[in-house]
Amino acid sequence: MARVMDPDESNEFGVKTAKKLGADEAILMTVVSSERMARFANSSVTVTKSVKESGQMVYLVKGGRRIIGSSSNPERSSLERFIELLYKSMASLPKDAGYVPLPSRGRKYPRRSSYDKKLDRAENLLADYVEEAVGAADSAGARRTAGSLEAGVTSHHIMSSTGTSGSDASGRILLNIRAFTDRDASGHGLSCASAVRDFRPAVAGKRAGAHSKTMRNARQLGGEAESYQVLMSPTVASNLIALVGEFASAFSVEAGTSYLVDKLGKKVASGDLDLTDVGSGDGCLQARTFDDEGQPTRSNKLVEGGVLKTYLHNLSTAKRFKTKSTGNAGLVEPGPWNLEVGAGDSTYEEMVKEMRHGLVLTSNWYTRFKNYRTGEFSTVPRDGTYLVESGEVKAPIKGIRVSDSLERMTSSIRLLSKEREWVQWWEVDTPTLCPWVLVDGMTVTKAYGESPPRAS
Amino acid sequence: MLHEEYKDLAEYCVREARRLGAEYAEARVHGGKGTGFLLKNGEPQPSVIDDSFGIAARVIVGGAMGFGATNLLSRERVKDLTVTTVKMAKFTARLVKEPIKMGESKTATRKVRVAEKEPVEGADPNWLKSLLLEIDNSVVKLAKGKGGVKIANRIMVASAGFEEKYLVTSDGAKVESRVPRFSYFGILTALKGGDAAQRTIQRGETGGLEIVKRIRLRENVEDEARTLVDVLSRAEKAPTGIMDVVLSPELSGIAAHESVGHPQEADRILGREGAQAGESYLSKDSLGTKVGSDEAYVSDDPTIEHSNGFCPVDDEGVVAKKRRLIVGGTVTEFLQNRSTSSLLGVENNGSSRSAGFDREPIIRMSNTFVEPGDYATTEELLKEVRDGIYLKSFTEWNIDDKRLNQRYTGLEAYRVRNGETTTLVRAPVLEITTPALWGSVKGRSSRLEFEAANCGKGDPMQGIPVWTGGPDTLLAGVRIAGGS
Repeated sequence: MARVMDPDESNEFGVKTAKKLGADEAILMTVVSSERMARFANSSVTVTKSVKESGQMVYLVKGGRRIIGSSSNPERSSLERFIELLYKSMASLPKDAGYVPLPSRGRKYPRRSSYDKKLDRAENLLADYVEEAVGAADSAGARRTAGSLEAGVTSHHIMSSTGTSGSDASGRILLNIRAFTDRDASGHGLSCASAVRDFRPAVAGKRAGAHSKTMRNARQLGGEAESYQVLMSPTVASNLIALVGEFASAFSVEAGTSYLVDKLGKKVASGDLDLTDVGSGDGCLQARTFDDEGQPTRSNKLVEGGVLKTYLHNLSTAKRFKTKSTGNAGLVEPGPWNLEVGAGDSTYEEMVKEMRHGLVLTSNWYTRFKNYRTGEFSTVPRDGTYLVESGEVKAPIKGIRVSDSLERMTSSIRLLSKEREWVQWWEVDTPTLCPWVLVDGMTVTKAYGESPPRAS
Repeated sequence: MLHEEYKDLAEYCVREARRLGAEYAEARVHGGKGTGFLLKNGEPQPSVIDDSFGIAARVIVGGAMGFGATNLLSRERVKDLTVTTVKMAKFTARLVKEPIKMGESKTATRKVRVAEKEPVEGADPNWLKSLLLEIDNSVVKLAKGKGGVKIANRIMVASAGFEEKYLVTSDGAKVESRVPRFSYFGILTALKGGDAAQRTIQRGETGGLEIVKRIRLRENVEDEARTLVDVLSRAEKAPTGIMDVVLSPELSGIAAHESVGHPQEADRILGREGAQAGESYLSKDSLGTKVGSDEAYVSDDPTIEHSNGFCPVDDEGVVAKKRRLIVGGTVTEFLQNRSTSSLLGVENNGSSRSAGFDREPIIRMSNTFVEPGDYATTEELLKEVRDGIYLKSFTEWNIDDKRLNQRYTGLEAYRVRNGETTTLVRAPVLEITTPALWGSVKGRSSRLEFEAANCGKGDPMQGIPVWTGGPDTLLAGVRIAGGS
């Protein structure tokens, strides 16, 4: 059987092979991941999953031409053949105007593996945690639950022809639970942590169960379209505000797929909004100490006091924008690692009291853009959704859609809560630490036509 | 085709799982190779070459299902994988209230190989680059001097590659397949002063590089660019209120996919996707329920030649067939896999697909479309409209997770008066419930066209290639809102 190399050996062999072929520059990045998951529905486990993967990202440069390869085969001769194929394919390509040489002196990163080692044995934890979450939901009033519990560790190992080397690892445990009392009455709960000690499956289950109970007999709003104050839970706010972080990618700005074009140094949000991209640190679910070009990650203030302070850069975009890399490569497209929305000084109760005519949203999905350049979007609230009149939660609501533009929405932020939560799930790709957020004047619509008879 | 060594590993995995006590086992070696090229505002970005294979194991042990995957294709690693997968299923068996059964579906032994005239394997990145540059130049040129509109930003990606699988199950399925594909993805942004219009374009088929000519890719993208110029140059405010609306094949297709295909996936109906992709407004007892007018006909067909969702044998080894989802407004069939068809006591129509070796097979659509009707042409159908809207393409869309409350915002849309399209109108919004949409279908043209799309479902997320399509579909008396 052919020999499989470990990540450092594979990287070293890859860089040597590339140099031998004549490459001017090479980066080998090996990513190793181990994910365990239990999914459940109707309060019953439907599947357990265990996925172990190891992939190599190869970056080669020759005479200003660049190519990127992605291979899942760490066997020595396969990797050699793959690099030869890349090198050969590169020859026919034109010189790349976006090429920027790697810094001549590489960096040595200390081996970092400070993740919670309990996550390595996650298969022993899954059943107990699912039971705890489902039990808490049931106790809070749920009739049935569905969800997924995922625990994983990912390590990145890098080596470049300029002498950069290092590795890091991070772990996460994520619970997404939804509780139902009937088909129209549901609640949602999340617990997202980088370490088992911060993981709260019972809190998430209880929250989902409680909303599923209070959402019974939800009603539809009267008008076709109306303006409301909207109080977004961390789950909802992170879905929308994380998009601001993703639109801050210099690639999106250049591509015209961001409303932040030409907004550097300008006011793009309420003075209360601070948004920071964080490479690594306490609680980060996707901690990285170096990026895909081997540059150190750091903390980047994207929005401070409502002003756009920087775009996110790799070496290539940084050169075109006449600035320095922010440590967010993506070889093609820079992007955020973890986002933190600054805390406010309000409690949830104080925020509700501030509302005259509004809605509380606890979960949403299917956010889609009419136009990325203008940032116009709509999103569909689901699970716990409540009408607020004169500072009091009045009634559960169903069947609505919220529309706005990201810039108008973030410019209309009135309050943020002290309390923040980490969020990463189906609808939030970039892990985001987010408070409750109260926004004025969002448009709420409902669909034309009657609902069908209720299915049993 | 796949190495014999990989196939041996799959068969070893199934034998080993059975030896460890699994009442059912399947193994799938799955992967692909491809080349992609990205052009940003006419500037080439680094080409990307991808080569990824791995093996998936799925077992049922004491009614509990386990899934495991790895890209480390050695006998020792596959043994570890099998042991872990069986062990994890056993660990959680106490929390399984509804034991999972794979049922008695007829399994297949078959080789599937999609023909390609110009092979995708080893597609030259420089050829992809030249193709994109030609399209980009053409798009920039056609907008020049047109009423102050500029196609200021262009993202274009061309990809050519193939997907290979070898599936073996403990109850006799043995399916080997090789499906080549070409796909194009683009985002064009047009600007005029402070105004912007944007179009996301996706094209894709199964087959070789001949697809580029067959689908007239360059002309197609040029048409989209012209539309953006027109929208910014001369689109007027859209009317609002109750009116007749004609959906183009593109709009018919997205509506069929979102509000018929998804809610008729049996796993959603049974609650399995409840926490992520959601459930359905239909229940397991909804077969025979009237949800549309007598003119509403929607199908899903994985056997269409060249289609993006081509999948004649599914990833549970079951021969797939055309599914008639809505016939004359009545729900007639759900999309099924082995366990849902077994649970519901109906025939399995082979709808199980997986996006890669590291994803479990789940119920997926393939090519979902409104069936063509009796009106010979679009023009003939439009003659039925006294005052309404023709929605030809859309931008933003979404739908709630029970698939009941959907919204489509028009990009290319026309006012229709006395049976003819008149002015171009800006961003009309069709926000409508599923029964209202399908209940208002009054007529369909005979032309059937498809659009390529990626459909997302599952946890972890699985994006899978599909087609959406249909004819022009006339909706009588529905509400149009918005407009800017």
